[in-house]
Amino acid sequence: MSPGCLLSLALAAMVAGTCCAPRWTRLWLGCTVAATLLTLGAAISVLAGGPWEWHGAFPIGGELPHLRADGLSAFFLVLLSVIGLAGTVYSSEYWSPKKHPGSAYPGRVWWNLLLLFMGLVLLCSNGLHFLIGWELFTLCAYFLITRERHLPAVRRAGWLYLAASHASALCLFAFFAAIAARTGSWDLGPLRDHLELAPLFWLALIGFGLKAGLFPLHIWLPSAHANAPTHVSALLSGVAIKMGIYGLMRFSGWIPTPADAGWVVATLGVASAVLGVAFALGQHDLKRLLAYHSVENIGIILIGLGFAMMASRAGQPGWGRLAMAGALLHVWNHGLFKALLFLGAGSVLHATGTRRMSELGGLWRAMPWTAASFALGAVAISGLPPLNGFVSEWLVYLGLFGAVDGLGPGSAAAVPAAILLAVTGAMALACFVKVVGVVFLGTPRTLRAEKAVECGWFMRSPMLLLGGACILIGLAPALFWPALQSAIAAWEPGWAMDVAPAPLLSLGIWNVGFALAAALAATLLLRRVRRNGIARAGTWDCGFAAPTARMQYTAGSFAGIITEWFAWILQPSRHADKITHPFPSRAAFREHTPETVLEKVVEPSAGMVMALSSAMRRLQHGRLQFYILYLVFGLIALALLAFWGGAP
Amino acid sequence: MTDAINLLVGLALGANLLALGSSRLPSIIRAAAIQGIVLGVIPLLLKPEFHWLVALVSIGTIAIKGFVIPALLLRALRAANIAREEHPLLGFIPSLLIGASATVGAVILAGHLPLLPEHRGLLLVPGALATLVSGLVLLVGRTKAISQVCGYLILENGIYLFGLLLIRGTPLIVEAGILLDLTVAIFVIGIIVDRIQREFDSLDTGKLTSLHE
Repeated sequence: MSPGCLLSLALAAMVAGTCCAPRWTRLWLGCTVAATLLTLGAAISVLAGGPWEWHGAFPIGGELPHLRADGLSAFFLVLLSVIGLAGTVYSSEYWSPKKHPGSAYPGRVWWNLLLLFMGLVLLCSNGLHFLIGWELFTLCAYFLITRERHLPAVRRAGWLYLAASHASALCLFAFFAAIAARTGSWDLGPLRDHLELAPLFWLALIGFGLKAGLFPLHIWLPSAHANAPTHVSALLSGVAIKMGIYGLMRFSGWIPTPADAGWVVATLGVASAVLGVAFALGQHDLKRLLAYHSVENIGIILIGLGFAMMASRAGQPGWGRLAMAGALLHVWNHGLFKALLFLGAGSVLHATGTRRMSELGGLWRAMPWTAASFALGAVAISGLPPLNGFVSEWLVYLGLFGAVDGLGPGSAAAVPAAILLAVTGAMALACFVKVVGVVFLGTPRTLRAEKAVECGWFMRSPMLLLGGACILIGLAPALFWPALQSAIAAWEPGWAMDVAPAPLLSLGIWNVGFALAAALAATLLLRRVRRNGIARAGTWDCGFAAPTARMQYTAGSFAGIITEWFAWILQPSRHADKITHPFPSRAAFREHTPETVLEKVVEPSAGMVMALSSAMRRLQHGRLQFYILYLVFGLIALALLAFWGGAP
Repeated sequence: MTDAINLLVGLALGANLLALGSSRLPSIIRAAAIQGIVLGVIPLLLKPEFHWLVALVSIGTIAIKGFVIPALLLRALRAANIAREEHPLLGFIPSLLIGASATVGAVILAGHLPLLPEHRGLLLVPGALATLVSGLVLLVGRTKAISQVCGYLILENGIYLFGLLLIRGTPLIVEAGILLDLTVAIFVIGIIVDRIQREFDSLDTGKLTSLHE
């Protein structure tokens, strides 16, 4: 079947699912799953068979609809449908009407609409309709984030998200309006010969960058991801912030970019990657921590994109192709493993009712499926072989190494970028050792953690699906080269290459070998354990006679050394009661890492704007005489302007 | 002819100062009335030949500005039964000083303006500017609604004086229209004054600040 046919069937299924959502759970589930599968089919047929285009006959908002699915939009459409599928199935148990009677049904409607409008944004090839879709998907996400709006923290997060999204939409309005004004039409398409459009890229960078959550525009991201229902967090982190990346890739491919755009994007990418993971290390809230890892991974994607843009300007497809492939594949990979991690965190939240890591612990025994899939996601996000995170990061590394050789004067910048990328990977590993160690290993710290039970199959199967995809991309990366190739060709037509690059093929073989070796080692270890049995003994307690579970190593102390390095930007606040007497007394220690950019930069400047506006309000006091005086002053100013302002 | 016009404009300027300097509402109204009558005569002198339309407008202006509107305002004053003393935001002496310096400034400014040769000897332009400023000072500096209406009237007189420069260019019917607007406006303001009085027991516009949202 043609992509158009599949997409219209998917639309019909999605609309039917949306209509069923308020009443019939099974019908809703069936229709939505069918819609995501049909969309997946359409996207794959575009990736395999070439672009698809459709022109509507009836104008919407004065413009004829124009849909276009080329390699790049199909690439993102695959991600949307896979994460949408996983999230839909997961939410049917996680956010069930039994547990959330008031909010489950409307939540399903918003969920379906969010999926629908994100798909629309990916397909729209008309600036006006793109903006409409963008605005609608932003609003749907807002209603999903604020599902639990009786909590003040959720309301605050929702407002922040809405404000940031509208700042982003403002830039995009300016961006598309400027394009339309220059080209005389809202219709979008490759405009590579309109060199005068290049400065508009900065507007796109702010607009799409705010959505993507690159540092320092990420202020809305942690609180929104932490406070949304978990399946929504997974979709937001897996797909919604990728819409910003899609916009950046789409328009850096379609319109010319300024000469130093690649440098700026790569620099922002490095900053996001390193600082994102540093902030993640300082977090004690499981979902907030994962949210900061989104900032980090967006940074990795932007490093790849930035160097690909430099390569495109320098005309060196050899390594540019690898950097772009790395960025694109990391879009998929981050979507997959971050959704997996969020779903795992959601299961923990579902079972224990808390996101605070200091109240968890020892969950591996109670929730083996969740723990195993979360650990798999943790390995993937840390960029360890043989999983998918390593593949895409390796491609980015190869691009950077190529840049060292190829990019004459700028090659010096590729070396620090590569080093900082490695630092990021190491810190991400440290962070996930901390998370898995504190949440799943050890003994339960509280009664809640002790009473946890494993989630049901509706929640388990999406995690298994996503984990399977992570393993598949890790072991057979060359299998996905045609998709990457199609997306790269849509970005830079001259760079198409049918055969997978040699490093990707050999990496696949290495990864399979590595996996086999790991499996062999695990079997041997298991055998030994079976043969010898496990000896259980108490932890060495330093001579203290009454240890409790709360005395286990905490997340804060584990990350202490690294957060100390980044104290200049993390600005952690610590409250400790010092014991001054020789005998023990009550003591407490609290540590909190604020959202520095928001609390130290954005809020004070917003406060200044507020103070200024309240001062301006004093001009409106209701005294008629002074209003007339304003008029007089205005007239005098105009007269002076006419006298000296060079009236024609 | 020029001397007669300049004399009348001078009288109008005197009425300005009278309005600015007096503390009682009826005398402000009377100053505005005198100014209206004086200005009503000027069109007759501007045109050497007699024209019935000019005469009509002139008579209309004198009747409305000199008698009808003041009568309306005095009636409102009586009906609303308000204190006839003014409590100005801007004192009488400063108002007078501003009015006088505006007159001087207007004469100096008019000397620098690129006027038509036939208007050079006339005091019309400085008179118009000075009257405008006096009207604005009354509008800004007084609190009672009635005195603000008078300020508005004097402001309009300034505009009217300026309009006389163009008497050859614009049809008088425009001036007639403005006059009609003015009458209706004053009428409406008279009604509003009455309503404000009933609602707030005062005509002090300062008390309207509670309505500012």
